Amino acid sequence: MGDKRPRSFYILALFFTAYVLFLYGPMIAIYILSFQGPDGGLTFPMNGVSLTWFGKVFSGGGIVDIGAAFKRSLALGLVVMVITVVLSVAAGMAFRKPFRGASILFYTAIASLIMPSIITSLGIALEFRLIDDFINKHAADYGLGWLAEGHTTAMGLFTSGLGAHLTWTLPFGLLIMFAIFNRFDGRLEEAARDLGATPWQTFRHVVLPIILPSVVGIGLFGFTLSWDELARSSQAIGSVNTLPLELQGLTTTVTKPDIYALGTLTSAVSFVVIFAALSVILVLQARQRRQGSDAGKGMV
Amino acid sequence: MAVTIDNSPETLAPAQSTLRKMTTRSIAWLQAGPMTLVFALFFLLPLVLVVIVSVWDYNEYEMIPALSFRGYTDTFEGCVANLPELCTILKTYLKTLKLCLLTWALTLMIGFWVAYFLAFHVRSKTWQIVLSLLCTIPFWTSNVIRMIAWIPLLGRNGLVNQGLVGAGVINKPVEWLLFSEFSVVLALVHLFTFFMVVPIFNSMIRIDKRLIEAAYDAGASGWQTLVNIVIPLSKPGIVIGSIFVITIVMGDFVTIGVMGGQQIASAGKIIEARLSALQFPAAAANAVILLGITIIIISALTRIVDVRKEL
Amino acid sequence: MTDRSKKISISRRSLLKGAAGVAGLAGTGTLLSAPYVHAADPKVLRYLGTAVNEGDEIAKKCLADTGIKIEYITATTDDVTKRVITQPNSFDVLDTEYFSLKKLVPSGNIFPLDARKIKEFNNITPVFTKGELPNGKKIGGQGTAPWKVLYLDGPNSKTFSAAPTEYVTLIPTVYNADTLGIRPDLIKRPINSWAELLNPEFKGKASILNIPSIGIMDAALVVEATGQYKYADKGNMTKAEIDLTMKVLTEAKKAGQFRAFWKDFNESVNLMASGETVIQSMWSPAVTKVRSMGIACTFQPLKEGYRSWASGFCVSKAVGGSPKLDWAYEFVNWYLSGWAGAYLNRQGYYSAVLSTAKANMTEDEWGYWMEGKPAKNDIKAPDGTLMEKAGAVRDGGSYDDRMGGVVCWNAVMDENDYMVRKWNEFIAA
Repeated sequence: MGDKRPRSFYILALFFTAYVLFLYGPMIAIYILSFQGPDGGLTFPMNGVSLTWFGKVFSGGGIVDIGAAFKRSLALGLVVMVITVVLSVAAGMAFRKPFRGASILFYTAIASLIMPSIITSLGIALEFRLIDDFINKHAADYGLGWLAEGHTTAMGLFTSGLGAHLTWTLPFGLLIMFAIFNRFDGRLEEAARDLGATPWQTFRHVVLPIILPSVVGIGLFGFTLSWDELARSSQAIGSVNTLPLELQGLTTTVTKPDIYALGTLTSAVSFVVIFAALSVILVLQARQRRQGSDAGKGMV
Repeated sequence: MAVTIDNSPETLAPAQSTLRKMTTRSIAWLQAGPMTLVFALFFLLPLVLVVIVSVWDYNEYEMIPALSFRGYTDTFEGCVANLPELCTILKTYLKTLKLCLLTWALTLMIGFWVAYFLAFHVRSKTWQIVLSLLCTIPFWTSNVIRMIAWIPLLGRNGLVNQGLVGAGVINKPVEWLLFSEFSVVLALVHLFTFFMVVPIFNSMIRIDKRLIEAAYDAGASGWQTLVNIVIPLSKPGIVIGSIFVITIVMGDFVTIGVMGGQQIASAGKIIEARLSALQFPAAAANAVILLGITIIIISALTRIVDVRKEL
Repeated sequence: MTDRSKKISISRRSLLKGAAGVAGLAGTGTLLSAPYVHAADPKVLRYLGTAVNEGDEIAKKCLADTGIKIEYITATTDDVTKRVITQPNSFDVLDTEYFSLKKLVPSGNIFPLDARKIKEFNNITPVFTKGELPNGKKIGGQGTAPWKVLYLDGPNSKTFSAAPTEYVTLIPTVYNADTLGIRPDLIKRPINSWAELLNPEFKGKASILNIPSIGIMDAALVVEATGQYKYADKGNMTKAEIDLTMKVLTEAKKAGQFRAFWKDFNESVNLMASGETVIQSMWSPAVTKVRSMGIACTFQPLKEGYRSWASGFCVSKAVGGSPKLDWAYEFVNWYLSGWAGAYLNRQGYYSAVLSTAKANMTEDEWGYWMEGKPAKNDIKAPDGTLMEKAGAVRDGGSYDDRMGGVVCWNAVMDENDYMVRKWNEFIAA
């Protein structure tokens, strides 16, 4: 854009860098310690340097199948992400008009945030026990005998587990939508309506493009919350564990630096993917600029 | 949703106006319905069960489905008898509030400026996304692993102590870096600053840049612009971020437990100790108390700034 | 595993077995595990427990020997007990400790096993059944000693029977005696009493287990060691005794005695290995782990004796009456038949049926782990890594020395509710 950056830019850039360094603080210990020697532990001192633990991550084995848990958590996280985005955007739209029960929904969402996760988890477990008992006792009465036969539990990753995660991600999604729709210019929509657009068209072609980057942010947030969720899943996941639960279970016995190696790999892969995506975008933008269209779109 | 009325309001007949209101309402209900359903199934119903259990009796080994308020009365044991000394529950809540307040202040300070930088100084969407991702990557390594890593970082022989001793800043390793209130707040700030950044950032990018330019043109200083334009207009974001941080910290027991060496009291930890001893009614009663107290704090907060206005 | 293979395997099964098969399949959670190609029903048992006893090798060997596939559900100690109460349908076999039985049995979620169907039941070490060593020496029985909660009155009873019956709550598998772990290189003087745990000399460098019912027993051992008080039963205190013990703990906490309380195996290893603590209550294999990193650490026998724990297998109520019950018996019988026992002994734990384990260990291994003799060859861990060099002698000596020195067992007190309230008060102090 040509204009010179104000001094505040440099100060804040420095501040931001410091924040990022702070965020990566414990990660640095993880990165270093994942190269522990074969006899090394989870703390300093380093006992030699090796790639042993990266090998362990790929060779699998061990008490818990980290690979399978990784896939389960990924699948759950993605489903949670999609549902969170769709429901939050829809509810966010709803809150722009007054409707009966708005306050109740709002405070329910807040309460869902406050309730200690283990208690929510416990409540969901109790609920599913009642459901199980009901199926076992009464399914036959309704001609659903096949449902009760061999039925052990209705709990699972995508029933009780998904529900538990949504009680955690949806309040965040909804409240962030409030921030997004704050002082959202309603005249744009009116204009679209005046031009004869249906409500769906108005949303699809006017509202969505404006809020899209923020909505992507909600998705990212929802996924991250689900991916890292522990307490809420603990009593509500049924007989298969998510990745954090497996990792936590692992800490009840000899824990080796392979969990650090897993952390290092996760970060490394994320960096590579983001770097690749960024390069592609930058190249495309540079090409666009060379061709003269959209000239002057500054980078930072 | 097929009904579209494109007449301007002034020309509408009263009947049509009512119709329009009703349609808007039913659309709102359709939009909010799915989320309400999820909360009803997975939060409200379980909550009802928890409240029921909280007024059950229990003995050393099992729950007894008989009405009893023991879970509640035991919690406030000694609150009157021990005066002027504070009882356990008050001490615990004071400690929790202190940690909460410190964490809130710090996350707000850091989060505000990070969001400010991202919203006003990073002008391209691409870079905003890239920098946000950079801040998200550490959270993709499970917290279980990151928690363990604080020991090698802050411990007696950890990286920080080694660095400080090596640089000659201190002679021997300092102890208060780990298993202290310092480390608890540090870890909480580490975990939750981004929860502050996201809503504040989203509020800030809604601020019309022309407003700020106009302020500068009118001779306002950077500080004046900040106080009179940026902060008031990002208030909803600040309040939403505050709701996130306060609610999570009030109920936290994992971070406070691990970083406090399990020696620092918190409202969540009381519940956890009860749960681990399988005293579900007492745990449920404590959760209901925590829910009540935190709801009061949050509704006070939203009374100051209504985040649902100006939507 | 791809989604496609899941779908194919499901539709094939549903063709074979009808919709009931699908419901059963989805219910048992096998939907998310590897699909089976065998036409016959795979024998799958969902095994809920902590990672301590969940060896990958055990599951593999069990599959090879019996055709039973063990699916581990790994959770923390707290979560395991909670899950038994909240989701009894999510597991088949439960690996838990005797002291939690006092809370689990009244929930009605445990299915009593028939002692007559356990082949080696009569060979289970008398430590569990009579409270004495194989050589007849009586051992300490304070706390929730296994023989107090081993039998039930009847098949559907929720009350424990003092006299042997055929209804068994928990088949013992693994147990040990806990004491203090120390860093001899940092302490530099002999330690021989529990009193040292609260010695101000180790201010800011001590730790105890963060399970209230166990932490308080460690404190009680200190109280007795310093001669302040003698308990009738450290594992079942009166309210006055709880107050007294908590007072001692609170004073120590306020003086900054404790660096942190540890909650799991891994934390106890990290605290010791990193030098955050130099003296703490500890498990034998955790000490071995610290030592295998080249860090000096001793599992210190103390003159007041050990605090013991024992765990074993329970079966979920939901399993009773289904074919899974037979598999569960088959699995338990296999577990006691020797291979697994030897595997546990080699990690520093003790196995419940000594005779069968002995048959699966070399004379040298048996001598080192069980008889307190110096190792003739290097002692290797089950995964082949070196644990001790030839000539080493195990801390605490032989099985008889260690188990004979047990004074109390991990426990749940009758005043548990009061104790937990006092514990919260202690944390808030």
